[in-house]
Amino acid sequence: MGRLGAVVKREYMERVRSKWFVIATIFGPLFFGLIMIVPAWLSIRSTRSTEKERVIVLDATGTSLGRGVADRLRGGLFGDTTGARVIAVSPAALADAESTATAAVIRKEATGFLVLGEGAMRDTTVRYAGRNASSIAEVSRIERAVRDAVIGLRLEGLGVRSDAVMGVMKMRMSVDAEQITERGRGGSGRVQFVFAAAISFMMYMLILLHGTNILRSVLEEKTTRVAEVVVASVRPGTLLAGKIIGVGGVALTQIIVWTAASTAMVRARGPIMAAIGVPGLTFQLPSVTPATIALLITFFLLGFLLFAALFAIVGAMVSSEQEAQQAQQPLMLVILAPVLLLQPILLNPMTKLAETASWMPFTGPVIMPLRLSLVPVPTSQVVLSLIVSAVTCVAVIWLAARIYRVGILMYGKRATIREVARWVRQG
Amino acid sequence: MTESAVEIRNVVKRYANHVAVRDLSLIVPRGSVYGLLGPNGAGKTTTIRMMLNIIAPDAGTITVLGRPGGDREASDRIGYLPEERGLYPRMQVRRLLRFLADLKGIPGKAANVRIDEWLERLTLRTAERDWGNARVEELSRGMQQKVQFIGALLHDPDLVILDEPFSGLDPVNAQALKDTVVDLKRRRKTVIFSTHVMDSAERMCDAVCIIARGVKVLDDDMATVKSSHGGRHVALALEGDVTPGVAAVLADRSLVARVDASNRFFEVELAPEGDSGSLLARLVASGARIQRFERVQPSLHQIFLRRVGASGVEEGVSGHG
Repeated sequence: MGRLGAVVKREYMERVRSKWFVIATIFGPLFFGLIMIVPAWLSIRSTRSTEKERVIVLDATGTSLGRGVADRLRGGLFGDTTGARVIAVSPAALADAESTATAAVIRKEATGFLVLGEGAMRDTTVRYAGRNASSIAEVSRIERAVRDAVIGLRLEGLGVRSDAVMGVMKMRMSVDAEQITERGRGGSGRVQFVFAAAISFMMYMLILLHGTNILRSVLEEKTTRVAEVVVASVRPGTLLAGKIIGVGGVALTQIIVWTAASTAMVRARGPIMAAIGVPGLTFQLPSVTPATIALLITFFLLGFLLFAALFAIVGAMVSSEQEAQQAQQPLMLVILAPVLLLQPILLNPMTKLAETASWMPFTGPVIMPLRLSLVPVPTSQVVLSLIVSAVTCVAVIWLAARIYRVGILMYGKRATIREVARWVRQG
Repeated sequence: MTESAVEIRNVVKRYANHVAVRDLSLIVPRGSVYGLLGPNGAGKTTTIRMMLNIIAPDAGTITVLGRPGGDREASDRIGYLPEERGLYPRMQVRRLLRFLADLKGIPGKAANVRIDEWLERLTLRTAERDWGNARVEELSRGMQQKVQFIGALLHDPDLVILDEPFSGLDPVNAQALKDTVVDLKRRRKTVIFSTHVMDSAERMCDAVCIIARGVKVLDDDMATVKSSHGGRHVALALEGDVTPGVAAVLADRSLVARVDASNRFFEVELAPEGDSGSLLARLVASGARIQRFERVQPSLHQIFLRRVGASGVEEGVSGHG
């Protein structure tokens, strides 16, 4: 076994043997599984629960509007609201009724109260007060109920039969978005979205996690002075390369385990869901070609190499954990840049911003995979991104090797930028 | 096979603010125990690092075991114990030693056998406890030092370089190290060690080189060093305290050039015009109660002080020097 092999083996084996690796590797798929199962399980549980909480509807319109709103609030987020209490009041008594209702809410006899004033049939605003007033979902549900009830009553006033109104209002509409790629139609847009978000999140997390590992590893060899023993036998460049390959191998191992476990879990979702009492969900798998997977892995490796080298530079420059915390701040900004872009690009992957970010140095290795898994990207853009990323990578690794070679033997204090520049020039 | 283990010719190494090594040339004979002596910051560690090709000289050439600096085959035959000891704290001792053996190209099985031999030899593996299975951080400092020795010697190197090997060693481990050096010498290996502890150097070295401020001050075999500085030294031991009369005799510059006093033991260097007979007569006349009076060769310590002097010590540049 060569020197490089010895370094790679040590870096890889010592990490894979550690408790943390085992925990993280098992926890990953478990986490994925929980994300898949828990929401389904929770939604089933909440529809089953029979909550006693109810809404008091203070109806001063003198119409059946209050009744209509109560009907429409039945079921759903509030649970069983058949008891949504409608109190018909005269406009003059509304103020008193509101104080009574407030007291009831405070005594927790009700969740909140809805005020349908005299002009509610014409107004565009109604008032609601309650403990759940900060919940956007619940307030918008009340909004919908009032709006539907008002529309229904007005239509009835125009002579439409009430059962016809109910029928029309109950109609639901949803858009089933389908991805169109060069290969034709295929895959659900939403599934593709979730897949892209998961991929870029995973890649980002692994780069950050293992990049920090590289920094720690370099720092440990410096602070414990092992570096000197090792570079008496191997070149610093070999040590750095072995470190990056070894840690990269750990990251790849994690990806393989996670992907395999996730695939297995998706395949076995039927029995798992059935076991916890969730009826079978229709679940589409994202459409990904082997070529895309190969590209995703290539970009991951480029991104990993790039950031690993940057972290190694920081590790070689500092001589304690505290200094490392400070010195890695500018690096964190570079790493955070793609994250700030993730959301806008995830929502709209075809913009100029997305296009530019997917080939720029430093953002490319994270943003391009995101676009690749979302939308078809022209080959020319992929090639440009690959070239820019590869060139950046080579440049940063060259820089890292020079800084590392001198830095690992410098003890005692953090190197200044000027000193580092001299190390690079020394050649 | 060449005669020298290490040949350094006109080597210069500059750092940003100072010159660590200036035009240094020295030859370490094969099979010798060679002492690299000098005050802190003299350039000893820099010289050693250049021999190991950890850093490159700015000028000059270095040949190690007959090969140019940085040659892979040569570096595999060197064992190195750095001044700042370094081990991976969380690694198991046996795995760490396996890694160090891998770096020197020792195949796995052979490495395992040697590791067990060494662990037993340095009592890290006994009937009760096998420290080879413990993690480095669980070991005491002394035990970690032993592991570091094993790491330096595991591949049976032809050239062993020990940078300040005695610093921080307890007497038991220091003895183990001395025994090991003697054993290496017997097996015709070359040992280079740097130190500023002159006593150890004097007892162990066949040849020494003294450097100060990056410049070679002295370089010769021990016998030549001693005899070229010898003949005019007296070892003197007294009973009781030093009386003013005795002090006056020792302060007489026509008789005594310098005195290295260690309370009741004195190493006296005679002045050019003085002689040991008149010194003895004057001491007796002053009422000194003499335990020992012996013409000796100067100690390495004396030679070092005379050649380097207090001015040779540079403060605050250690670590790169």
